[in-house]
Amino acid sequence: MRAHKSVLVIGGGIAGIQASLDLANRGLKVYLVERTPSIGGRMAQLDKTFPTMDCSMCILAPKMIEVLRHPNITLLTYSEIEGVTGSVGGFKVKVLKKPRFIDENKCTGCGECAQYCPTEVPNEFDMSLGIRKAIYIPFPQAVPLKYAIDEANCIKCGLCERTCKAQAVDLDQEPETINLNVGAIILATGFELFDIKSISEYGYGKYKDVLSSLEFERLICASGPTGGHLLRLSDGRIPTRVAFIQCVGSRSLRGGVRFCSSSCCVYATKEAILIREHNPECEVYIFYNELKVFGKGFQDFVKRARDEWGVKYVRALPGEVMENPETRDLTISYEDTEENMTKSMTVDLVVLCPALVPRVTNKELAGILGLELDEYGFFKSRDILYAPVDTNKQGIFICGYCQGPKDIPESVAQASGAAAKAAEAIQLTKNKGVR
Amino acid sequence: MKTEPKIVAFLCNWCAYAGADLAGVSRISYPPNIRVIRVMCSGRVDPAFIVGAFEMGADGVFVGGCHPGDCHYISGNLEAEKRIKNTQRLLSMIGLGPERLRLEWISASEGERFAQVITEFTENLRKLGPNPFKAQVNAKSHTDMKKVISEAIKKTNVQYCLECGKCSASCPISKVNNAFSPRRVVERTLLGFEEKVLSGTDVWTCLTCFLCSERCPSDVRFPEFIRDCRRVASQKVMEELCAHRGIPTTLSRMMTNPKIKQDRMDWLPSGAKISARGDTLYFVGCIPYFDVIFENFNLELLKIPQSVVKILNKVGIEPAMLSNEKCCGHDLLWTGDLENFEKLAKTNATDLKKTRATKIVTSCPECYRTFKKDYPEVLGTFDFDVLHISEFLSELIDKGKLKFDAKLSTKVVYHDPCRLGRHMGVYEPPRKVITSIPGVKLLEMPRNRENAICCGVSAFMSCNKYSKEVRADRLKEAKATGADLLVTTCPHCQIHWKCLATEKLPTSSDSVSMDMQDFAVLAAEALH
Repeated sequence: MRAHKSVLVIGGGIAGIQASLDLANRGLKVYLVERTPSIGGRMAQLDKTFPTMDCSMCILAPKMIEVLRHPNITLLTYSEIEGVTGSVGGFKVKVLKKPRFIDENKCTGCGECAQYCPTEVPNEFDMSLGIRKAIYIPFPQAVPLKYAIDEANCIKCGLCERTCKAQAVDLDQEPETINLNVGAIILATGFELFDIKSISEYGYGKYKDVLSSLEFERLICASGPTGGHLLRLSDGRIPTRVAFIQCVGSRSLRGGVRFCSSSCCVYATKEAILIREHNPECEVYIFYNELKVFGKGFQDFVKRARDEWGVKYVRALPGEVMENPETRDLTISYEDTEENMTKSMTVDLVVLCPALVPRVTNKELAGILGLELDEYGFFKSRDILYAPVDTNKQGIFICGYCQGPKDIPESVAQASGAAAKAAEAIQLTKNKGVR
Repeated sequence: MKTEPKIVAFLCNWCAYAGADLAGVSRISYPPNIRVIRVMCSGRVDPAFIVGAFEMGADGVFVGGCHPGDCHYISGNLEAEKRIKNTQRLLSMIGLGPERLRLEWISASEGERFAQVITEFTENLRKLGPNPFKAQVNAKSHTDMKKVISEAIKKTNVQYCLECGKCSASCPISKVNNAFSPRRVVERTLLGFEEKVLSGTDVWTCLTCFLCSERCPSDVRFPEFIRDCRRVASQKVMEELCAHRGIPTTLSRMMTNPKIKQDRMDWLPSGAKISARGDTLYFVGCIPYFDVIFENFNLELLKIPQSVVKILNKVGIEPAMLSNEKCCGHDLLWTGDLENFEKLAKTNATDLKKTRATKIVTSCPECYRTFKKDYPEVLGTFDFDVLHISEFLSELIDKGKLKFDAKLSTKVVYHDPCRLGRHMGVYEPPRKVITSIPGVKLLEMPRNRENAICCGVSAFMSCNKYSKEVRADRLKEAKATGADLLVTTCPHCQIHWKCLATEKLPTSSDSVSMDMQDFAVLAAEALH
């Protein structure tokens, strides 16, 4: 394929998927590079989406399959970018395909190997709440449905090799370098969670029943480690009172990040509704500082949560969470800023909404691509007002959370924008005769 | 012209005052140098009154009470005797000498004796000359309240307050006293009610423990804001809220006097090796004074400097020390007396430079913070490597120069003093030293390191039922760990906790009494 007719998309989350599909549907060749063994990204980890309460996977899975089946898309999972040279219309990209130790062409995804694999490790997809084997697919709807062996944890016993009827296991597989010629590049590397252990007053990492919101998503999700039953991790009890704490590490001039993650107020509302749906007996409190619900329908969504679902909002950021070592109950200290009273509340479960931060690996990637990062670690837009998806380098575009805080609909919209921009860039260079 | 001595006389209502009265009605003449203050009992005379009188320029203080056995309150005069002896020690230490304070038993019928005693005392004071230590009480240059506050709002990030209430939800005082809320203090100030804030008690209630600030997402440095507010807040309110009648700050103010010549080294054990000059200086702090002021708490505070010197000698260091060491000024700074603080800072910097020391070791977290953070700010430069003893020992352990050779069999729990912990970020060195002592098991309270709560009082301000609750709470937390010994690096924590144990509390006294020891003392015990 000629360089000017193809695009590299880095990151297989919802933004990367959307951008790839848009470009492929235009007739351009797309290489979608994903770091983990499956595409899907953060959205795949979510149970429901706001404000419509749609099943997240039900929306995402068809798109993932479409990516896999699309004749114009080459999916390179478990791969990382090693080097990029050239300029718009003619980038030369070196992709390192890490060994899965599985022949992707042979693996049928039957899962027989994983049944026999003796090594159990925490499942990253379930935020380490559940377990997986050393030979695994991250989640049942993984795309491609091909197993991978996690080299760090594999004990090389060879059981999988003997079990696999398709003879797909290849323990001698070597890393492979793939060279691509593309006309444009789109980055969609998404976000990671701020290390909320550093906000030590909330006891995350110390108390088992203090969760991050993404851990909570896995707990309440039917495909999660508890099969969708919301239980306390300490004693397996069904919680009767849950508290959400907003802005853990975000909007912080000290010890956190200075920006608002832009989705927590709404997803906490969604998660609160989910709890009430699962168990109407369970009281839910959301401790917030300001409700930043600015999207279309979001304000109504919060109103519905309050009026119809009985979710209680408390305008306060708690000072600390303390566990009673016997009952494992958690006591939250807060100042009710509407009543001007310092109070405390005992709850069964605390969910922290951490700051969503740009990936630390952005720095390395920016180095490879010659891009600039902004003060927070997001990729820098050429102009935040009129060229948000452009970067300082022509032919390289950004979309989704790696460009700045946003929610799913905004990420999707921006991905389509970046796809259009990438197609345009290729068109322009072609017209100029650059190859 | 020679000035006449001024004498403040505290006379007991029943005996000495009546004796003075008799002298008067009997027309017995005696020098007119005394100003009489009638008290109900000589036992009422607090050392702070005496020290305060000297601070304000009295040349002598006379206390008159009933003869032993005649006290109308059974034993008030005997208490007075103890106190006066104690106060005389304090006066000797600060360099005034014990002679300027006199206690006499004078009965109602001893008019003549009264006149005789006063004549003699006046004569003695004439020989001694005027009191050299007259200090400026609450020396305050004319500060523009509005300006101080508006600068503080900017400097301490108060303007970025999000009103989230995390501060008040963290504050140990707010938890027991709903009327106090850092957030609301900030809110009221930002809304323009600063005068109300400054004339109230809130400014003096804050423990300045930095827990709110540690957690504030907007990096509002509330304790520093409070410190600035105190510069212009009502001194009247402050004086009412001073614990121990403000005697520690009175002594600090007296030390601003350049003529001062203290006698404060008698705690030094024989055989201890120190020098006047040297690379490493040990700054003792106010412990010798505290040992006298808080004598009845049985804290053995002097063991702290003794232990530090022992350890330093053990590793081959003969520390330089100042025989006329002045207070670092911490309490003055945190009670808003910036002017006197600056005076102390300048004197200390000059004295310290003379020793040619490059390294200052302190055993008090307050001195540590003041030297490391506040002196450079106030003086522009303060070119010393300031180390807390825990940091110093931890470094020695790292270099293999210190090894504890005595085995102690004990479980200890470590309390992070606010000045060392949150103010300065020193959490690990004391733990490292404690855990390297053979046989010592270190336990942790649930609220430790940056989440530790304050011992309950700071700068000897606002000792009230709320601060007592905070103290009891911390002691209970320490006790619940099952440790035998509560170890802290700050002598003030010990003073405040022991002070609590002497009080009658609604909680059982058992829950608030716990064996405690200073960090340096523990470390010294682990050395043969």
